[in-house]
Amino acid sequence: MSDPPILAARGVTKRFGGLVALDSVDLDVPRGVVQAIIGPNGSGKTTLLNALSGASHADAGSIQIDGRELFRLKPHRIARLGLARTFQTIRIFNNLSVIENVKVAGACNTPTSLFGIVMGNAHQKRNEAEIEHRAREALDVVGLGGRADDRAAQLPYAQQRLLEIARALASKPDVLLLDEPAAGMNMTESMKLLSTIAHLKTSGITILLVEHNVRLVMGISDRIAVLDFGKKIAEGTPEEVQRNPSVIEAYLGRRHRHA
Amino acid sequence: MKTSNFKTSIALAVCAIAVLMMPLVTHDGYVIQLLNIAMLNAIVVLGLNFATGWTGQINFGQAAFYGLGAYTTAIATKAGLPWISTPFLSILVVVAASIALGLPTLRLRTYYLAMTTIGFGEIVRLIIVHWEPVTGGTSGLRAIPGISLFGFGPQGQIQHYYLLIAVLAIAVLVAARIRHSSLGRAMIATKDSEIAAEQSGVDTTRTKLLAFMIGAIYAGLAGCLYASSVRFISPDSFSGIQAVLLMTMLIVGGMGSIAGCIIGAVTLTLLPEALRFLGQWYLVLYGLGVIVVIVLAPGGLASIASEMRLRLASAR
Amino acid sequence: MGQLVVNGLSLGSIYALVALGLLLIFNTVQIVNFAQGQLLMLGAFIGISSAVTHELPVATAWIITAVAMAFVGIVFMVLVYFPLRGRPPFLVILTTIAMGIVLENLALIIWGPLPVSMPSPVHGAPLRFAGVVISMHQIFIFVTLAVILLLQFLLLTKTRFGILMQATAQDLHTARLVGIPVNRTIAVAFAFGAILSGIAGLLVAPIFLAEPTMGGSLGLKGFVVSVIGGFGNMPGAVIGGLFLGLIETFGARYISSNFRDVYAFIVMIAVLVAWPRGLFGEKSSEKV
Repeated sequence: MSDPPILAARGVTKRFGGLVALDSVDLDVPRGVVQAIIGPNGSGKTTLLNALSGASHADAGSIQIDGRELFRLKPHRIARLGLARTFQTIRIFNNLSVIENVKVAGACNTPTSLFGIVMGNAHQKRNEAEIEHRAREALDVVGLGGRADDRAAQLPYAQQRLLEIARALASKPDVLLLDEPAAGMNMTESMKLLSTIAHLKTSGITILLVEHNVRLVMGISDRIAVLDFGKKIAEGTPEEVQRNPSVIEAYLGRRHRHA
Repeated sequence: MKTSNFKTSIALAVCAIAVLMMPLVTHDGYVIQLLNIAMLNAIVVLGLNFATGWTGQINFGQAAFYGLGAYTTAIATKAGLPWISTPFLSILVVVAASIALGLPTLRLRTYYLAMTTIGFGEIVRLIIVHWEPVTGGTSGLRAIPGISLFGFGPQGQIQHYYLLIAVLAIAVLVAARIRHSSLGRAMIATKDSEIAAEQSGVDTTRTKLLAFMIGAIYAGLAGCLYASSVRFISPDSFSGIQAVLLMTMLIVGGMGSIAGCIIGAVTLTLLPEALRFLGQWYLVLYGLGVIVVIVLAPGGLASIASEMRLRLASAR
Repeated sequence: MGQLVVNGLSLGSIYALVALGLLLIFNTVQIVNFAQGQLLMLGAFIGISSAVTHELPVATAWIITAVAMAFVGIVFMVLVYFPLRGRPPFLVILTTIAMGIVLENLALIIWGPLPVSMPSPVHGAPLRFAGVVISMHQIFIFVTLAVILLLQFLLLTKTRFGILMQATAQDLHTARLVGIPVNRTIAVAFAFGAILSGIAGLLVAPIFLAEPTMGGSLGLKGFVVSVIGGFGNMPGAVIGGLFLGLIETFGARYISSNFRDVYAFIVMIAVLVAWPRGLFGEKSSEKV
């Protein structure tokens, strides 16, 4: 692997009061892979995603995408540098239509001027056409093309999750963070999600996946990192991680403590 | 889908004709003036819609921007400046004020934002009331010169009526354009989920500030036209209760809906006049009415209208 | 200058009382009552009606006012809190503002727009020392504030019901699940919140005249005090109130008395910008 990783995190640390949520986490994500982050409840997976995407800044460390530093940047800047994400609890824009939801992200790197909007000039029309094109593309990838003009709030749950993915895709990210994308989905819906992720991989996007459903993760991931109590305790291919004793202990040990 | 678009167009055309014919139907100058004020209010409420209806930022300072526009215009024209300068001056003043108010406060949470915007409104009112040599204090300013471009200007209520219809139409057009642009979507996204909007590349701070500023410009220009058409202004027309009234026009009409802004403004401008016989009781009933509307139909009249349309469509 | 301090502190005590009423309601149901000032006005007028129009002894007027305000508080709760549970705060704000409009205009209809006054419950010559004059009424204001604070503290921490109220304030749902009579504690909060403002009104009427439109600016100042002290924080409200009273009195004297009301807002904006937590309390800006 002579290619530099697309996403490189070093020493990412986050404290909430006295609690250390992330303890100097290092992570290298090679370009074009599907990398999963797993770990028991409270191990810091979502905190790590939040730190990477800028939603909740880390206290210390460095995060670079394609060599550019992301640490402590505002989330919209990080998005414009090529990192998009979905959320654990669905955060779609309820008052917009399905395609409008996606268009919000589609405008990510398209500069629009107020003057142009008000005047309705050619530049503005071209921008809108481009945003529309991107949005429809993204909707087609997740299979929501037919519901473009419906109100986003009316979509059933699983489709709302897909909408979030379409929205994230519309900003043409280099790295896509998926936070528990299969939560609340049944078997059929999870399978569809899996195939969507596999399809995305072929387009060259790097995917970082936080998931509880370990079986789903094993099926789709090229690499897996395991967190426990905010520390990275293992990393490698799915086979390596499955056999790793500290990983087994982290999950089993948790179960014992709760019993 | 095609039939309902056709029906909507017919309905709009009928409305448009009715509106244009209005002065022929009623020659009562008083009614026409009332409609003129209603249209000015509609412009202000359209402005309020950007920040509050779409972006979700409570703004009780809209009446203050209205007043700033009106007073800037009145002071400028009475000082001898040509009328054409007043829209630009008004915009300048309100933009400066909105930035001064917006920058420190736009990241505040609901209650605090409400409070600071109310406070801003009060400060502006107090300045107007106490800066007597310039603003005329509580008695206000009279004999304000009217609109005049190259020596021509609308004379009488009816001519103002048609002018204001044109201005309102432009205001609506601009608002619609913004709604269907990336800025409009960014505004609504900011309200629906600020975090998700940020992660989708929306600079929410800039969006909020822009919504605020555009709203202030709408109000400032409306104020300019108010001063030039009504030709008498006083602090009472732009004070605290007016800010609340504007907000209720937005809510009763239907927050977030362009048509709702106009419906709300016209309704709540005409209603107090129609119910004038109630005297002081009008405000009591008004307050109770607002509560009833909020509890029963928070989407306002616009949502009731679209509810009915849906029901009629499905009943077929 | 000592005179300014005394005047400022007594004014501030009244502001503190308004804020305490606001906080009692806010702590219990997370609603900021934008009509709190109108409740003050109502208290003042009920007192004036009793003591002046009906010529009852002032002490009786106070009792009547307290009872009436408790009743008003409950009505308020029924009209505003129950129908709007779970609705976005923006709508709640507008509803309380609308209630304020209703109360103010009812007052205008019932009592007319002219300012009126009522006598203080205490009489006697003012104290004088070190060049400073403290009227009996001003002393009464300080004493009332102190007594109320003490009663509130005892009620909330030493009585069983008070502890139930604290529990409800901290976590309504769990409190209900555990069997705490949540509606009763909410009713008490509204009743006492109204009474506190009513008392503030009774204290204001003898020194400043009362008129139906007085509620607006006093309510605003109550809110400003809550912000300065940190929302949710009772000792903070008291300190904030006294602080605001002093600033306003000194500002009116040394800068301009025309802009009295403005000082409150300037201080509030300054505090919000510099210390988003208020001087003592919780965050006021958006969580990212």
